[in-house]
Amino acid sequence: MGTKRILVVGATGFVGLHVVDSLLAAGYSVRATRRPRSITLLLRRRDVELVPASLEDPEALRAAMVGCDAVCFCAAHYPRYSLHPEAAIATATEGARAIVEAALAAGISRVVVTGSIASVGPAPEGRAADERDVFVSPPVESVYGQVKWYVERELDRGRERGLEIVSLMAGACFGPGDLRLGTNGILAAMLAGALPWWVDGYVNVTDVRDVAQAHVAALECPKPLPRYALPGRTVRVGALFRWLALRYQVKAPALELSADDAVARADREERLAEPKRERVLWPRELVDLVTHGRRVSGTAALRDLGFAPAEVGETFDQAAVWLVTNVLAPARRREERRP
Amino acid sequence: MNMDQNEWRTKVTALIAEIRELDAATIMGESRLREDLGMDSLNSLELLSGLGEQFKLDLPIEDALALVTVDDACVFVMAAWKAQHGAGA
Repeated sequence: MGTKRILVVGATGFVGLHVVDSLLAAGYSVRATRRPRSITLLLRRRDVELVPASLEDPEALRAAMVGCDAVCFCAAHYPRYSLHPEAAIATATEGARAIVEAALAAGISRVVVTGSIASVGPAPEGRAADERDVFVSPPVESVYGQVKWYVERELDRGRERGLEIVSLMAGACFGPGDLRLGTNGILAAMLAGALPWWVDGYVNVTDVRDVAQAHVAALECPKPLPRYALPGRTVRVGALFRWLALRYQVKAPALELSADDAVARADREERLAEPKRERVLWPRELVDLVTHGRRVSGTAALRDLGFAPAEVGETFDQAAVWLVTNVLAPARRREERRP
Repeated sequence: MNMDQNEWRTKVTALIAEIRELDAATIMGESRLREDLGMDSLNSLELLSGLGEQFKLDLPIEDALALVTVDDACVFVMAAWKAQHGAGA
């Protein structure tokens, strides 16, 4: 029997790229889908087979899966704005359904999905939240949370039809390689001293490479759970910013907003940004994630997937060096830092 | 493949036109990518990625964001092509 071949959908994205690296390091052969305008700069430096496919093209998706043993789905819909819930939910649901249908048709043995910690709801008194606490109905407070909830429901439907799906509900991913400045945009803005305001709450800082490694472990785990929370380290946002400011000798954002003001501000900034499809530093999604953030336990992921979160300092250092090297953040007294 | 500067410019212009959904005829050599053509850093990465694929080049990201005009982009990709595929290749 030859090397196992894995299809990665979303390999040109931040998490997907690291999943590709982890798979290659573990000895798998990797096929990756790409869209016509995908940014393939980093992916083309890897030994992967690139095939054109998209979630909107069921036949191409199925064809891409044929000959693969398993699929990593790292392309669940990420709504840039929280302004149009129905449309975002529809896109996300259709995307997840497309993966399930194609995987069933192609006889795929297992699908590992990059999910979000936003799907983890409150825990009963006396313990931290984990994968057992997935919301039973869409969380009203967050469009992003609703989108992720509908994706999980679609995956459940796939499970009911006999497809083995492992959903990895990752925290906020930091690390090198975030070309599109998603979550790492906050760090880039901080390094540039351009973060205008902040809102307090909990954030689960996760190293993208730990998340990628967990995808490989989830492919190999003999009897995985349907879901795992991958929380990384739970920290207070205010404390994190003060710590980053000290570490990188930059200013912490001065203006602290209340949760209500932050929501209003994020909504306003998104409405202004939308016509030009610009990104905002603090999207509503992130405000919701932080203000409704909670401590989450990764015990099951540690037990079954060996998910042992990296030291947060190392994660941020490597993310920061990558941003500076690729001029996505300004260089600034790098030698002198460290508290 | 031995293209002169005009041919390079045609190819680069066509890609920019596609990314920004512009009429290629309105894009000049001296057009500034950011100010005149409205390209943000993500568009620059798309341009770099597209050129890299078209000409089978590995282009460094850190250089892409320093490009100011369409001509800069042409010179950049021509130089990379020469360096990676050799003179007379």
